[in-house]
Amino acid sequence: MVTYIVRRLIQAIPIVIGISVISFAIVYLTPGSPIDKFRTGRVSPQTIANLIRVYGLDQPLPVQFVNWFTHFWSFPFNSTAWGYSFTDGLPVRDKIFGRAPSTLLLMGTSLVVSMLLAIPIGILQAVKQYSWADRIITTFETIGYAMPTFWLGLILKQFFSVQLKWLPLYGQNTLGKQGDIPDMIAHLILPVSTLAVVSVAGWSRYMRASMLEVLRQDYVRTARAKGLGPARVIGRHALRNALIPIVTLLGLTIPTLLSGAAITETVFSWPGLGWLGVQAVGDRDYPVVLAVTMIGGMMVILGNLLADVLYGVVDPRIHY
Amino acid sequence: MATTRGAQEALLEVVDLRTHFATADGLVRAVDGVSLRIRPGKTLGVVGESGCGKSITALSIMRLIERPGRIVSGSITFDGQDLLRLPEDEMRNIRGNEISMIFQEPMTSLNPVYTCGDQIAEAVSRHGSLTQREAAARAVEMLEQVGIPDAKRRAGEHPHQLSGGMRQRVMIAMALSTNPQLLIADEPTTALDVTIQAQILELMKALRERNGMAIMLITHDLGVVAEMSDDVSVMYAGKVVESSDAITVYDRPHHPYTKGLLASIPRMGARRERLDVIKGVVPNPLNLPSGCLFKRRCPYAMPICDNAPPLRLVAEGHVSRCWLAPDGGRPELGEAPSAAEAEAAALTLTVANP
Repeated sequence: MVTYIVRRLIQAIPIVIGISVISFAIVYLTPGSPIDKFRTGRVSPQTIANLIRVYGLDQPLPVQFVNWFTHFWSFPFNSTAWGYSFTDGLPVRDKIFGRAPSTLLLMGTSLVVSMLLAIPIGILQAVKQYSWADRIITTFETIGYAMPTFWLGLILKQFFSVQLKWLPLYGQNTLGKQGDIPDMIAHLILPVSTLAVVSVAGWSRYMRASMLEVLRQDYVRTARAKGLGPARVIGRHALRNALIPIVTLLGLTIPTLLSGAAITETVFSWPGLGWLGVQAVGDRDYPVVLAVTMIGGMMVILGNLLADVLYGVVDPRIHY
Repeated sequence: MATTRGAQEALLEVVDLRTHFATADGLVRAVDGVSLRIRPGKTLGVVGESGCGKSITALSIMRLIERPGRIVSGSITFDGQDLLRLPEDEMRNIRGNEISMIFQEPMTSLNPVYTCGDQIAEAVSRHGSLTQREAAARAVEMLEQVGIPDAKRRAGEHPHQLSGGMRQRVMIAMALSTNPQLLIADEPTTALDVTIQAQILELMKALRERNGMAIMLITHDLGVVAEMSDDVSVMYAGKVVESSDAITVYDRPHHPYTKGLLASIPRMGARRERLDVIKGVVPNPLNLPSGCLFKRRCPYAMPICDNAPPLRLVAEGHVSRCWLAPDGGRPELGEAPSAAEAEAAALTLTVANP
């Protein structure tokens, strides 16, 4: 197992390099430049030329890339490893580390809530396949899955915040109430609901399909032939097998825990990495965009590795 | 009861069982009026081609028929009670306890995520009052009984670590761990190599002697039936077409289908260019012919076969669903009853001679 993980991490090195080159190229080749916001006519050409030189944008791209790439990996020890933000001059690493807990909180909560709802719903649908309950839930799943989060988020805000005034409109805390847990929970409800509607719809479909597949298996019939009741046949014999593909998929969603939900965070002004990334792209804040992209890329690699390791844990047939 | 066999108390008596499947293409009468009798401690071989309703009969006895299948009518009397009238929770106490079942596919019939020992112990503790530790010990003991070497270690292994023959032994151990009175074995050796088949059959015989249980052995292999069975019922297209003790069926088969099955067994030393096979195929269950279901493949087919034959008494304890005279000759012309008479005869004979 340990050798397997080490081997996978070594294999990840060329992938990370590939991600770096492509991210860097895309970010720098995007039309526009961080300097554009100063080209208003009131800033002198000399100042603009100075800014370009300060940001290092006058150097050849390969030189900029090597500069950035070699500094990037010293981040565990060096707060300036990811450079300074072009917008506020703060070290990018501190900005990112400051935002990460909010994203983890939002995404983690919505993942847990989604799973707690989706798994029982999927089981119910599989056990009662083609029943009225199954059909009605399927209809809602299709609607939920098709719902764009930016639209759903706005509708929820309009209804619950503006009209009913039950829940706060945006942010993670009411101003001046930082660290107040009940206040934060109230702020979490709408963005978590928005994310959960879409992911419950998806996950419960997976769970339904996986459970249906397992319920057809011979060993489920064997379990029934032993005289076991439905609770034990489904809850012990079928469920454990049906969860194997779900656990694998779960590993693959790990990256979103940190990369965040750009749209939902933006709609709710949730101070997480997703919103930060969206703002940074708008400002052509290259160091921030690159840092967010690289975190996403590395999380995908780790998530895949985690999925494979989990697969070995939940399925006794898999050995590494 | 009309026969000498009838005089003996039956452990399991299936009368006029009908299990139908409502498919999108129409109603499939997978089991259509099957009657069987299993004597205590004896083995009944149920023989027939794929799709003749053998497995569905077995699953009906276990009441494990799933949608879109449904047991439409009939009775299944086990130990004096009609299983079809039992509430589901009482049926669960019989399943895996008094009646156990093993399946054709040992490779897929065990749950891949639990150890073999766990799965046996689960059956034991479901139907007994043993502690977990005692149940686990019982599982190891059962694995030893079915001839698995190093049983203690094997009990801790997952099914994928065992060969097909070993897995079938585990299935047998699980089925027998509760000392059932009846074991239903649905093609237990079909998926196994020939040498392993022989071992499994020997094992089943030995355990039958030791436990004194009855076996319902479902197979399409007449060799297996000859090896194991006291009685034989031959099924065709959802009906029993011939039923008697094993020796009679092998020595004096009456139904042309049984004769065809016996003739299609390859024999060492027989000088034949080609194997005798039964011509044609099993009728489409969605579109069964009227009259005798076998008439289109039958070398003896005659006009009367347009009427469905009832199960008729051929000799003491020997019934056959065929219009041929008891000696196998053509019936006298005057003997042929009308369809209505045939119907009436069928009813009386089914009732008198299940």
